[in-house]
Amino acid sequence: MALFDLRQTQETDEVIGTDAATRALSVTAVENDFVAGVYENLASWYDYFFGPTLHAGRLQAIQRMGIRPGERVLEVGVGTGINASLYPRDCIVTGIDLSDSMLEKARERVWRKGLTNVRLLEMDAADLRFRDASFDIVYAPYLISVVPDPVAVVREMCRVCRPGGRVIVLNHFRSPNPILASIERAISPLTVHIGFKSDLDLPAFLAQADLKPVSIEKVNVPRLWSLVTCLKE
Amino acid sequence: MPVDPELLEILACPNCKTPVTLVKNNTALKCATCKRVYPIKDDIPVMLIDEATIED
Repeated sequence: MALFDLRQTQETDEVIGTDAATRALSVTAVENDFVAGVYENLASWYDYFFGPTLHAGRLQAIQRMGIRPGERVLEVGVGTGINASLYPRDCIVTGIDLSDSMLEKARERVWRKGLTNVRLLEMDAADLRFRDASFDIVYAPYLISVVPDPVAVVREMCRVCRPGGRVIVLNHFRSPNPILASIERAISPLTVHIGFKSDLDLPAFLAQADLKPVSIEKVNVPRLWSLVTCLKE
Repeated sequence: MPVDPELLEILACPNCKTPVTLVKNNTALKCATCKRVYPIKDDIPVMLIDEATIED
């Protein structure tokens, strides 16, 4: 599929529903302190557990970005820096995270791999400390179902992205299948303890964040995750 | 590359959203407006108000 194919995907057609603009995105609510605590504990084994399982999606996201030499990429929720070496060396990558344990892992990795094009900062994804339009590409991999307010995060992502730039979200969202969806809702209060809500509502998320994706692709095996690519207007 | 000139150019103080500058032999970032100093720990700037100190 070409970059930014404007075809209507099956998923975008699902962005209907009369209450998408107002309904809750998940049955589970979390606070920043809780999330930071979970990821302090996850830091030492995140790569073993979530590394190979979610890798295909990471590769596809980088490919979909179509990064050009010299472009500025912001990775929101850089975690252990598992993506850091996947970026071309001729772009400038800025990674932010709220967990200092995860950032410490990222720092070690960046140093070990000699990645001179990657810099790391500790900050809140919902309160980015960059000026408007600072980046060409703003990417949140497996983050949006972790944060207390996904809509606030994606609004900040759009703010720091330049007009014409790309805002990319890679995440698991609640299945359109009613049986799977009810399971995902039921287990969401449990999965949040290993770092994510399993029932994030994609149509409601898109409506409330006022995102108009140019493509939504299913990724990973099983194909339960979505790669959502948007162009900043 | 912890804090290069390009990063300084786009960074803003979490409190007043104004530019920050390198201080203390490049080990911290300071906002001239609110005087908050944000530490750089292990090459990672910590841009959180709770972690900042106020220094004149």
